Amino acid sequence: MKAFSKIHPFVLITYFLIIITVSMFVSNPVIKLLSLAGAALFSFVITDRKERLENIKFYLPLALLIAVTNPIVSHNGETPLFFMNGNAVTLEAVFYGIDISVMIISVMLWFRSYSIVMTSDKFVYLFGRIMPRTALVISMAIRFVPMLKRRISEVSRVQKSMGLYSVQSLTDRLHSLVRVMSAVIGWSLESAVETSRSMKSRGYGLKGHSCYSDYKMTKNDIAVFAVFILLTAIMFSGASDGHLRFYFYPVISDLNTDFIADIAYSAFGILAFFPFLFEVEESIRWKYYRSKISALRMQARKKMYWKV
Amino acid sequence: MSIENGSFNLVFGESGCGKSTLFRLCKREISPAGKKSGAVLYNGKDIAETEQKTSACKIGFVGQNPDEQIVTDRVWHELAFGLENLGLESSRIKRRVAEMSGYFGINEWYHKKTDELSGGQKQILNLASVMVMQPDILILDEPTSQLDPIAASDFIGTLKKLNNDFGLTVLISEHRIEEIFPIADKVFAMEKGRIILCGTPESVCKKLRGHTLEMSLPAPSRVWSRLGIDCECPLTVKDGRKLLYKYYYDKLGSEVSVLCKCDCGSKTSAIEVRGIFFRYEKNSSDILENMSFTVKKGEIFSILGGNGCGKTTTLNIISGLDIPYKGFVKIMGKKIKAYKNNSLYRNMLAYLPQNPVSMFVRTTVREDLADILTALDVPQNEHNSYITDISEKIGISDFLDRHPCDLSGGEIQKCAIAKILLTNPQIILLDEPTKGMDAFYKNNLLKLMKNLKQEGKTMVMVTHDTEFSAEASDRCSLLFDGEIISSENPNEFFSENSFYTTSAGRMSRDFFKNAVLCSEIIRLCSGQEVLF
Repeated sequence: MKAFSKIHPFVLITYFLIIITVSMFVSNPVIKLLSLAGAALFSFVITDRKERLENIKFYLPLALLIAVTNPIVSHNGETPLFFMNGNAVTLEAVFYGIDISVMIISVMLWFRSYSIVMTSDKFVYLFGRIMPRTALVISMAIRFVPMLKRRISEVSRVQKSMGLYSVQSLTDRLHSLVRVMSAVIGWSLESAVETSRSMKSRGYGLKGHSCYSDYKMTKNDIAVFAVFILLTAIMFSGASDGHLRFYFYPVISDLNTDFIADIAYSAFGILAFFPFLFEVEESIRWKYYRSKISALRMQARKKMYWKV
Repeated sequence: MSIENGSFNLVFGESGCGKSTLFRLCKREISPAGKKSGAVLYNGKDIAETEQKTSACKIGFVGQNPDEQIVTDRVWHELAFGLENLGLESSRIKRRVAEMSGYFGINEWYHKKTDELSGGQKQILNLASVMVMQPDILILDEPTSQLDPIAASDFIGTLKKLNNDFGLTVLISEHRIEEIFPIADKVFAMEKGRIILCGTPESVCKKLRGHTLEMSLPAPSRVWSRLGIDCECPLTVKDGRKLLYKYYYDKLGSEVSVLCKCDCGSKTSAIEVRGIFFRYEKNSSDILENMSFTVKKGEIFSILGGNGCGKTTTLNIISGLDIPYKGFVKIMGKKIKAYKNNSLYRNMLAYLPQNPVSMFVRTTVREDLADILTALDVPQNEHNSYITDISEKIGISDFLDRHPCDLSGGEIQKCAIAKILLTNPQIILLDEPTKGMDAFYKNNLLKLMKNLKQEGKTMVMVTHDTEFSAEASDRCSLLFDGEIISSENPNEFFSENSFYTTSAGRMSRDFFKNAVLCSEIIRLCSGQEVLF
């Protein structure tokens, strides 16, 4: 179930640009926490169980590591908690560490979702018009990577089966790696000749290159796009007067919760939770339809029964 | 030569006879550089003078390697690629792509990555992405040489359908001509850069009697040719059977006396596989399930089976590259685990991979051979004599100083065999050794394998090539659903099977008791010994 990824690529890339930029550059804990929550929930619904577990195993320790590192390294701030090796560990530094870790994790999660949602073909579609050559190169490169991987493993297995270079010594293994890589690159260049023939024989390089687009902007897409822009505008107009300003050093500042700030928070909140809500709404709707379908079926069956 | 509009044309000949060069000359965009005289005319006009766009889209070209022809990462993009180059607007591209993917049944994998496709699908995709450009002529250079038999016959079926449905002119070259021969309108036989014969398949068969190209003909034609019957040449198994019933009815029910080939003087087993279970991932299903078999010392053992049934995996396990989670493999009575370090690969076991290019990592064949010798601790000053010996034995002296990638499939395979023989193995594993080979190379390989057998080496091969395994092996076995189902000598094995058998076997089924080779049919019919 990836309803969100069905939205037009242009709308999607705009969304990710906005959300990632805001999470990176607006320094306000509420915004960052909202962003983290949105990112976490969204990546929760679009991944399967195995991936979720792996994600938790990866991100949780990373978050802790980043949060702990800051107060150990940085000794700014005015409220010392305790001393370590003669250096003060301050309250401000602890909170700042948590803040950075929230920011980094949320941005990473957004990028992760981005790579799931924005597949290469969408990227090629978006940039194929502006720079067709570049788009083609990207598409070829993406195709090249798994091929290269497969060849490397093939060659190194074969080398192993001849009993070459597989002794435990490190130098020997490095030696073999270099050999295998150079062989694979030579081999790939050789096969690239065939690829370029295939390209030429299908008219590559003729004048007037066009692009096959696979996506249509629907009314729905436009509406979603408008909502994104509107929410972003609201949030930024709130931020422009310094309503969202927040700092950690030297002393943690108060969190602004006046009316304008609240509106900006809620606007960003909706924006950050949008993909998650979109997925949930879609799945509820689907369940509703299904129950309706099955209800209809039941009715039909009853009718049949009465007839009989 | 001239190709008629809407006809189906086959060019065949020994590899290296210039088929590919000829084909590439017909397609201006990829014609090879060099000295050229004469001209190729398309619709009465020199192709060098036709308009660029016409030339690009009206003459379609499909090469032999399915993988290397694919340019982009997604199926839909690959289909649209040619049309994008022509600069068509997107609505027209969409229509043509939709049309063609419907025709070729690509819909189900339309959004897939090109890397996830099977070889057969890749080649169909290559064909489809040429067909979207609506060509008049389709040139195919050995398109099925890298495919398994089922995918290959699917592909040829599609070609025939295109030829019938659209009146598309087809020009194809192929080694495995069994299936194309009967459907071709015109056949060209090529030798040393010249077309020596052309005409209908029947007439070409007639003229090829006694010529070396005779052995690449379909089995029924070969039998007919050798028996010297004076009638229309049979091209299909059906016609071949008719011929047998008509002219040799008195021989009905004869039997080939099979020397018990499996009795090779030794009863000791070279390879013993017992109760192997194997899967690639924890949650996937078993590829090999309780597989057991024994290969005796000095025999040639072949494993046949459908695509993806685990043939290559079996070889990987025997060679210790993959480790089963249950069961064991004994090599010469010793478990694989007991071979420490590389001792298994020294003077014991060698593996010829499906793609022999992957065995070569240096810039010349000689350097690669020297590498092996260094690894075997042969002193530097003796390298040359070893290399000269082996290359004379295998017949690769001419390619020693060439780059491995510049050699043809058959040549590189010979070099690969030379390389593995340097380790002086007792057991040789061969993965699809006849893939993409022509009849002549197969014959050479056969002789080589027989010679190695004489030296007492044990060989296990996995293959799709029923003819070759019938000819070469002492025992054949069928791998299905993760186990070896039957292992018998080829005559019993192939005469029992009705589908998985040689075409000679199908031709003489129910007529002779157990003939599976052309030479056996001929022997039974005429009483004379024939060697191909």
